[in-house]
Amino acid sequence: MSSRKKVLLKVIILGDSGVGKTSLMNQFVNKKFSNQYKATIGADFLTKEVIVDDRIVTMQIWDTAGQERFQSLGVAFYRGADCCVLVFDVTAPNTFKSLESWRDEFLIQASPRDPDNFPFVILGNKVDLDNRAVSAKRAQQWCQSKNDIPYFETSAKEAVNVELAFQTIARNALAQETEAELYNEFPDQIKLNANDNGRNRDGDNCAC
Amino acid sequence: MFSGQSRWFKDKCVYLWIRIALFERQLSKIIEHLVNNANRYYERDALVADPDYGSILSSLLVGPCALEYSKAKPPACFWTDPPADELVQRHRMSAGTTTPPSVRRPILNFKRSLNASSDDGSSNNPGTGKAAGSSAKDYVESLHQNSTATLLYGKNNVRVQPKDIEEPMPGYLSLHQTAAGLVIKWTPNQLMNGYAESEGIDKSMAPTCTVYRRRCAGPLCIDCVYWAMSLQVCVWEVVYVHVHRSQASDALILVGQDGVQRPPIHFPKGGHLLSFLSNLETGLLPHGQLDPPLWSQRGTGKVFGRGKVRRRPLPSLCESGETEEPEWEETAGDYVFRIVNNAIADREAMRHSLLERAVQSPPRTPRRPLASTSTTSSDSSTMSVDCPPSAGINGVPPPPLTPIPHQPIEQAASIELVCSTMRRQIISRAFYGWLAYCRHLSTVRTHLSGLVHPNIIPRENADGGLTDERWLAMTDEKGAIHDKDEVYRLVYYGGVQHDIRRHVWPYLLGYYEFGSTAEERAEQDTACRRQYETTMSEWLCVEAIVRQRDREATAASIARLSEASGKLKPTDNNDTSEVFEDDCSVISDNPPIVSPEPSETDQKRPGPDKPVLSRAPSIDEVDNIELDSERDKETKQNGETDNGDSRDLDVDSLKDLEDEDVHLKSVVENPDMRRESIAEIKRLAEEIVQKGEGRALLCSVDSAQLNGSEFRSSIDESQPSPHQQHTSVIITNPSVDLAAGGSPVSGGTTAQVSPARSPLGVVREESQSAGASFDTLEPADRNATDNRSNCVSPASSNGGVYSNELVESFALNLHRIEKDVQRCDRNYPFFTDENLDKLRNIMCTYVWEHLDTGYMQGMCDLAAPLLVMMREEASAHALFNSLMRRATDNFPSGQAMDAHFADMRSLIQILDCELYELMHAHGDYTHFYFCYRWFLLDFKRELLYQDVFAAWELIWAARHVASEHMVLFIALALLETYRDVILANTMDFTDIIKFFNEMAERHDASAVLSLARDLVLQVQTLIENK
Repeated sequence: MSSRKKVLLKVIILGDSGVGKTSLMNQFVNKKFSNQYKATIGADFLTKEVIVDDRIVTMQIWDTAGQERFQSLGVAFYRGADCCVLVFDVTAPNTFKSLESWRDEFLIQASPRDPDNFPFVILGNKVDLDNRAVSAKRAQQWCQSKNDIPYFETSAKEAVNVELAFQTIARNALAQETEAELYNEFPDQIKLNANDNGRNRDGDNCAC
Repeated sequence: MFSGQSRWFKDKCVYLWIRIALFERQLSKIIEHLVNNANRYYERDALVADPDYGSILSSLLVGPCALEYSKAKPPACFWTDPPADELVQRHRMSAGTTTPPSVRRPILNFKRSLNASSDDGSSNNPGTGKAAGSSAKDYVESLHQNSTATLLYGKNNVRVQPKDIEEPMPGYLSLHQTAAGLVIKWTPNQLMNGYAESEGIDKSMAPTCTVYRRRCAGPLCIDCVYWAMSLQVCVWEVVYVHVHRSQASDALILVGQDGVQRPPIHFPKGGHLLSFLSNLETGLLPHGQLDPPLWSQRGTGKVFGRGKVRRRPLPSLCESGETEEPEWEETAGDYVFRIVNNAIADREAMRHSLLERAVQSPPRTPRRPLASTSTTSSDSSTMSVDCPPSAGINGVPPPPLTPIPHQPIEQAASIELVCSTMRRQIISRAFYGWLAYCRHLSTVRTHLSGLVHPNIIPRENADGGLTDERWLAMTDEKGAIHDKDEVYRLVYYGGVQHDIRRHVWPYLLGYYEFGSTAEERAEQDTACRRQYETTMSEWLCVEAIVRQRDREATAASIARLSEASGKLKPTDNNDTSEVFEDDCSVISDNPPIVSPEPSETDQKRPGPDKPVLSRAPSIDEVDNIELDSERDKETKQNGETDNGDSRDLDVDSLKDLEDEDVHLKSVVENPDMRRESIAEIKRLAEEIVQKGEGRALLCSVDSAQLNGSEFRSSIDESQPSPHQQHTSVIITNPSVDLAAGGSPVSGGTTAQVSPARSPLGVVREESQSAGASFDTLEPADRNATDNRSNCVSPASSNGGVYSNELVESFALNLHRIEKDVQRCDRNYPFFTDENLDKLRNIMCTYVWEHLDTGYMQGMCDLAAPLLVMMREEASAHALFNSLMRRATDNFPSGQAMDAHFADMRSLIQILDCELYELMHAHGDYTHFYFCYRWFLLDFKRELLYQDVFAAWELIWAARHVASEHMVLFIALALLETYRDVILANTMDFTDIIKFFNEMAERHDASAVLSLARDLVLQVQTLIENK
């Protein structure tokens, strides 16, 4: 395990102000929700180690200011991103409507090598609130129209789907890396001939 | 599916889950579960299944699982960095052994707060020779045998009497063979004990270190003192070894090339000294030796050499040491050994022979010391200029090295050549150093002279700052303050006493004039308040419109949502497609793919608009444009009908007309603006149609809005009634909002609370209208044409016609303000709902006055401390206005931020080149983005409230005392405070951002501010000394 390459995944969280970017990041990294967050000025990031397909990777999650005017300083932060998370607030339709421009802006500024296949993930946050105004169907439709972007409905407050969403983010970001880089370090003796007996045995004799 | 791959992982990662469980603090629970259910998972004879051992195992794990392991990194995880706090503490721990910063530019180095103790330490202890360049941990590890150093000798309880200490202290003496040569180390027991059990293990280091750090906070830290006492001597720097033997103990004194004696090392009795010397001699081989040799071959054993030994030779230890040791034990006496480095001697000999052949010149006395200095210190090309050239020659007593065979006369000549060459080199080096320094200074002047004031204003008597007494003493009988320079000076050096801040700040921010009487200021305040209230009533009215639109938009969304989620009617074909279209057109710039509407809208589109629409418009867009053009007409109507009612109206409506023209274009060109409100407007129009005629509740609204500004209510009354009736639809609900919102202006009003429509009602109406056929829609639209005027006219009743553009733009700002105000400093007790409301009003008023720039995130943070200080909206707003006059340039719309970054770059380059090189090595000046928040908010987020006050006062006063750009120096002071942490961890861009984000509100503000003042002074002095 330790002989394999360490992986750092840079993840950028974008979205209108007040949709819960900072909360999502902190819920994922620190497993905490606070109603004390202030508007993000400049940029901040947190790191967290996650295990993706039995690999330990470190996610460096960048939280940005929500007001689009501050995006001019985003360039420095977007560089080298492996995944971009677009967040909107399911109770505020306008935040959903701006997703498009956030996405475009990101692609322009970060200029990834393969913009068409750059991994995005959409999070509809604040599903714990009653006054929902953007339906899941509507969001889903939009995501499908954009090259099938994965869509999650989350609540940073109640930790709904946050873990799952970031697992997906990590996995998609990792998939972005070239296959060769990923798998050439596996030893040769691996054989992928799965058999059911093996599964049973493995299931019973757990590694403990 | 388990497969070969998973089995491979089973081999490799079989323990991975244990680690993760431990990190997550779940391990004990898991094991407990396993123990409780052992019969399901384990064979009967397994440890876990044992009734006793199993439960013992699980209970043993409870302790480890309570620990926080996230700090203890396995070597595989380099990326997750230690938190900022830990870095700072680690640094404090090792500060005692840090190397001083680059000495290339001697005058420009700072006194650094974190490092103060280390400076003291090294001056306490000239005997340490080379300061240990690494952290304490490395140091302790270095005491043991490791890959880079062989441990030749180690002895505990060797006593050393460091300088300033009266009693010799016990410690651990060790002799190491490293690549660079032999090193003698002595470490006080006090330090050794702390690390005794934790050698080399990072994790278990942590607890000891915490204790250690905690003590290490101040300059008087005991451990730092101990670190300063420890000895680390490179044997090649030692020339003589003195041995003093007495009845009490054996002492060993090392004398360096500089002639300085290291503190005596007292060995316990019992041959330890001898064994140390013998190891030393062995270690010196093959390149060096003790002179005279410790032992000389004589017969069967080694015998203590002759030479300087005054007493009889010592008996051999090799074979018969045991028996003869007592003799050595009893013997008192002094011995001197010289350490001879053959390597140096060999090199010297070679050099001389080369020179001999080259030059023949008259004989001069050969001076060996030259040779030794040149090889040991000055042969490094980086030798600093500030090292006085004479020191190398005169400072060192001639260390007599190995006797070199007597040289012929030619050799003397060659030595003279060496001398003259060196002299030339030294002089030229000094010259170039001086030249570089001059150039450097000229750069300083060019780059930095703009940053500070040329004249240095003295500090005397300003330490206490501006106190209540001083302030009173300065106030004359009319309540005027005249001596502004003195006020600025006092504030700059000492701050303002908290009680009088609210009186002083208006002066510092330039709101009050110095010299104004109390009466004048009262007038100014009244005028300001009146102005503030007027402005507020203006935007409150627009807010009412915004609220109404929001309500409808929300209701519509909910309606759509509920439709989408099931209760579908047969007519929903149209409806769902409309929803979908709406999504497409609003979100994407692509024209909708399936849409029954465009043809109709095309027909409807008025002629004049056509040229504007250069590309295929979406439905919403078209609708919007239509509405706009309709509004265009309405405004004209309004302008006509309202003409003569009020002067404002004329102007406003005219302006509005112009706006509309521009607006049409901007709608098409600016998708952002379009996106915001199309749906809402559309629905608003439908809404009006549905609602039919208005209800006469306008007055309640107006009175709510205009409370406090009497002259406006008269306009109200004179307003032609037809319009009023129409307006009511829009205004009705906002009046509720205003009253409910509890804004101070409407607070005492008698506004009727009109029954708020339930959202459900709207939903129903919405769905009906949405389900309506297009045939009915069209007349409805025409109907809307008439009713549209209502949308605009409520404002007119207040003396202004607000264009849709204006309303939208304000709506956008309003929403942002509300989002940010809600989360502004909510952990600070001052910000109750009532005070947050005040903050919101200040923000809205400012934004209303500056709608072109609008609200920008961060403004709330800037206004909050002002409100906290002034407690009152109008004056806080006035101060905020003054503050923003400068600060507005820092926001993305201005240019100041880039200038700040550039200035920071210059400052660091000139004042701390080492740090500059680190930053430079990692990339461009985007590095300075970690300062972004500092500059944008004047350190508001970096410091606690009390400290923010002090910092702001400093910044404001500094403009008149020392520097227009005090923020730069505070930023620099922050950076310098942690420079060693940054350097030691070679932090890059991201690390620094993270570090400072984590350190927010944890800085020692007074130290930072005072360092900032020192830095200003430093730059001023630099520039002054031409």
